[in-house]
Amino acid sequence: IGLQVSSGLQDLCLRDRGGRRRDFHDLGVNTRQAMVHVQESKTGFSGRMIKLSTNHFRLASRPQWALFQYHVAYSPEMEARRLRSALLFQHEDTLGRTHAFDGCILFLPRKLDSKVTELFSRTRNGEDVKITVTLTNELPPTSPTCLQFYNIIFRRLLKMLNLQQIGRNYYNPSDPVSIPNHRLMVWLGFTSSILQYEENIMLCADVSHKVLREETVLDTMHSLHSQVGEERFRDACAKELIGLIVLTKYNNRTYRIDDIDWDNNPKGTFRKSDGSEMSFVEYYKKQYNIEISDWMQPVLISQMKKRRGNIQGSVALIPELCSLTGLTDKMRSDFNMMKDLAIHTRLPPEQRQRELGRLLTYIQKDDNVQKELRNWGLSFDYKSVSFTGRVVQGEKIFQSGTMFEYNPQFADWTKETRGVPLIRAVPMDSWLLLYTRRNYDVANTLLQSLFKVAPSMGIRISKPSMIEVDDRTETYLRVLQQRVTPDTNIVVCILSSARKDKYDAIKKYLCTDCPIPSQCVLARTLSKPQTIMTVATKIALQMNCKMGGELWSVEIPLKQVMIVGIDCYHDTVSGKQSIAGFVASLNQPVTRWFSRCVVQSRGQELVDGIKACLQTALRNWSKWNKCLPSRIFVYRDGVGDGQLNALVNYEVPQFLDCLKSIGTDYSPRLTVIVVKKRVGARFFAEVGGGLRNPPPGTVVDTVVTRPEWYDFFIVSQTVKNGCVAPTHYNVVYDTSQLKPDHVQRLTYKLCHMYYNWSGIIRVPAPCQYAHKLAFLVGQSIHREPNLMLSDRLYYL
Amino acid sequence: MDKNSQEEFTQIVKFEPPLYKQRYQFVKDLVEKYKPKKVADLGCADCTLLWMLKFCSCIEVLAGLDICANKMKEKMHTLSPLPVDYLQPSERSLTVTLHHGSVAHKDPCMLGFDLVTCIELIEHLEESELKKFPEVVFGFMAPSIVVISTPNSEFNTLLPGVKLFRHPDHKFEWSQAQFQSWALETARCYDYSVEFTGVGHPPTGMEKIGFCTQIGVFLRKYPQTGKSVQSEKPTEAVYKTVFKAVYPSLKDEKYLQKAVIREVIFTAEIIKHRFMSKREEYSDDPERKPKSQPSMDYFSDYLGKLVIEKNMEPFVSGNEVYIPLTTIFSCPKVKRLCGTFEKLCKLIAGKVTLSSDGSAVMFNIEHENE
Repeated sequence: IGLQVSSGLQDLCLRDRGGRRRDFHDLGVNTRQAMVHVQESKTGFSGRMIKLSTNHFRLASRPQWALFQYHVAYSPEMEARRLRSALLFQHEDTLGRTHAFDGCILFLPRKLDSKVTELFSRTRNGEDVKITVTLTNELPPTSPTCLQFYNIIFRRLLKMLNLQQIGRNYYNPSDPVSIPNHRLMVWLGFTSSILQYEENIMLCADVSHKVLREETVLDTMHSLHSQVGEERFRDACAKELIGLIVLTKYNNRTYRIDDIDWDNNPKGTFRKSDGSEMSFVEYYKKQYNIEISDWMQPVLISQMKKRRGNIQGSVALIPELCSLTGLTDKMRSDFNMMKDLAIHTRLPPEQRQRELGRLLTYIQKDDNVQKELRNWGLSFDYKSVSFTGRVVQGEKIFQSGTMFEYNPQFADWTKETRGVPLIRAVPMDSWLLLYTRRNYDVANTLLQSLFKVAPSMGIRISKPSMIEVDDRTETYLRVLQQRVTPDTNIVVCILSSARKDKYDAIKKYLCTDCPIPSQCVLARTLSKPQTIMTVATKIALQMNCKMGGELWSVEIPLKQVMIVGIDCYHDTVSGKQSIAGFVASLNQPVTRWFSRCVVQSRGQELVDGIKACLQTALRNWSKWNKCLPSRIFVYRDGVGDGQLNALVNYEVPQFLDCLKSIGTDYSPRLTVIVVKKRVGARFFAEVGGGLRNPPPGTVVDTVVTRPEWYDFFIVSQTVKNGCVAPTHYNVVYDTSQLKPDHVQRLTYKLCHMYYNWSGIIRVPAPCQYAHKLAFLVGQSIHREPNLMLSDRLYYL
Repeated sequence: MDKNSQEEFTQIVKFEPPLYKQRYQFVKDLVEKYKPKKVADLGCADCTLLWMLKFCSCIEVLAGLDICANKMKEKMHTLSPLPVDYLQPSERSLTVTLHHGSVAHKDPCMLGFDLVTCIELIEHLEESELKKFPEVVFGFMAPSIVVISTPNSEFNTLLPGVKLFRHPDHKFEWSQAQFQSWALETARCYDYSVEFTGVGHPPTGMEKIGFCTQIGVFLRKYPQTGKSVQSEKPTEAVYKTVFKAVYPSLKDEKYLQKAVIREVIFTAEIIKHRFMSKREEYSDDPERKPKSQPSMDYFSDYLGKLVIEKNMEPFVSGNEVYIPLTTIFSCPKVKRLCGTFEKLCKLIAGKVTLSSDGSAVMFNIEHENE
């Protein structure tokens, strides 16, 4: 077990050898060059202009700037990197004081006199060493290596500003916000990345918040023990703790908890790097003067990522010495906690820019930082980039012959569509309503309200079979087995508590063994008389969709088009199961969807399953339309940083393969668009000297996009507080021959089509459906739902 | 001055653990023995010794001095407080400072130290600097303890590859006699006693050669100097401060107050939670077991065996629940932090919502569970 002390240098080194460093920014993927129709221009034209500013700052370098890359060899060979470094920098007179060295590759801001420089050093044992420094590359400012290098230098600057590194970002520890009733502390920090954008290399910086917990893992274990008792204690610990990131008391590293070793404790021993055995108690006393007080606690296990071959395997950590970071799912679902947190983390545009400005002021004012930048010949613009974007016009909402326009400021049409018949209302002739004795009144209230709201939507609703159950999972299942018939339209369960096991059991049964749509409602939601009509309306709409109904539509000018949405869910808790949700449109107005999911089994790639999904989707589309689609749009969500290359080179060819397999004469136009919600870019509308969130429909396809991609941003949703996050769309494959403007418009239209929200959402509806499906399967069902349900949105 | 590069004397003598580690361990042991509050490391180089010393709980002030600012800067960030130090501020206070300057110059920032260490330092000094060194360290700084280590040149014959000196930057290397006569003369001159020891034992049969690294531990014979002497000393600062870190500590009212507020609110929440769940009638959920046995109850762990008297019980009035401060104060952790009840009241004043008479923490329960 390598319990290492953090070393500043190690974090600075360029680890690009052996390809172990992940390419977080997908630097090497150039997809635009293959798409002829966007070679000249990838910008749209519709909409009105809007003045925007952003969180990007130009990076400037001296004219004719270049970075010089040298290879450094030692004769005789020296193993230890520290020694290599020490020997090399005995020659600072020759090499200069500004350098970056990872033990093998040396970067210098200036060229040495000759291509090959030989230096002679002597080790402390008096061994003479010849060091050969050979120029291998002269890197222009835009080369990928250079960009990586800028990022490293920038992180070095943040460190010089005394910011603390936690994970990938840097945080300011001196002025934290404490939220004592939840034992949370929030640190303000920054994310930064330097990339080649459309015309310039720019720094994209954003405010980031780190939530830290003012308790140790041992504290958490104690409170879990009191909550769940002895019997379920270990399971509860595993559920709550595995996957969380911890900070240790003695060094500045973060570890992910991968396992808990209940058979071990602090008295247990481990093998040190020199081969000797030592107990944890002894080790921490000797090394850090830390007394471990609880000798009975288990030991946490963290798997080490492979590092240079010499240290690997796992690290053991003592719960008492580990502090938790971040939020658990349980905490995220705690409404009060999230509300308290949001006050501190959701910064409105002006404040967000002000915080960023503070960082740049620090950079500008700090002598050491400025010196470092000067030595490398780099500098920043301290004013963020501004440019013009476009706001495309709002969509018209159609519902049974009626057309609505919504207020673009709110991006919501709940009011406008109230009392208007749905496009397709599925009658509720035969349905079940399950409730416990305590919730009898609530069940009746719901029923009365549904009878009031349903007719105006055009939903015919009959009296349900009202079934009183006791609040046991087995009872629910028994009742379902006895009372559900093939004619049952839907089952409604009123649950007393948000207990996941009960919900999971009901969903699992009704999605797999007995495929009938179901609706679970928490009794608490129905307990407030002032909101009951709104709640009943929402439930009626949701149930209608689950039974295969259609609510509204927008105008889709393309004919014979199939729209696909894909998203993934990665189960971090129980096993390493991954699930892909796959949703494809079935009809011309894209109001009906075919939904399937892929549950990844060990050793199988998700994409194989996705290929099969696409095949069945095409078959279903042709059943509905009596022909095959001539255009296919795939909106692919859930692609992580650095996975773009795999997607382009493996997944897209699989799609093409699949289409080929349908028939030799079948060659539809295919467009694959990667959808990314988590992006660093933020846009601000400059209104009357102040900064506001840009309105929904704002499209950005210049300045902050990437030259090697056919990409754009759309702000489609609105937020009540904080800053709106734009969604990034990257068209990685496109034979549609459509103008960029049309692709942008289509994408925006699709953000109007999510039936669980009568408003515009962040991503195209198929992505959100796919997400919902994958989440339900990953969280509750754990296997593929019955295909009988695949033509309706049963998972909403 | 790369003092840490491995001294692996493979052929004749090999030290395990490496010699530099043994030297640092020697200092750590000394700190354990004398418990100094203020420690300065002269010639601190890449701050490894300082980093090790920051974990010694007796030390409240740590200072480093080196002639090479770049060497210090390389790893000085390891001396910064860690995130966890902010999350759980420690009882002791700790300030770490790094200065750029020479041991041949006097600077008032080096006054008042209990222990000054000079590990493998003097052999790097030029003759002129070495001459001034005793006056600066023993005369001016005048700490109660000084530790000086330096190579023992008699040992060099056992080290492979060492021709003149062990390191190219060494200006001299002394034999045992040379070091001891210098040390004794210095001690006599500045009224210190000195004891000689070392690390890196010679091979058996060659004991006369002495330790590989020879160490002198100097103890000041006279008590803490009075003000009269101090006033004669120059006060002009010549060192440049390159790094300063103040660790969060409960000694600092700011952190103490935060910690107390955190603990008070958390304790109050727990008591409220327990109180409310007792009051609340339980649902028709037969799977929910009655609140488990008191022995496993977290609250009993957390609050200890609290005897809550009648007048200390929480109570509800209208939409508010009140948790008396006396109840919260009886929690051992709160008590330990505040010391007195008065201090508790003072620290939380205006920061925690209290009842009108200030005797209880107040929660609004109207919007609970929304």
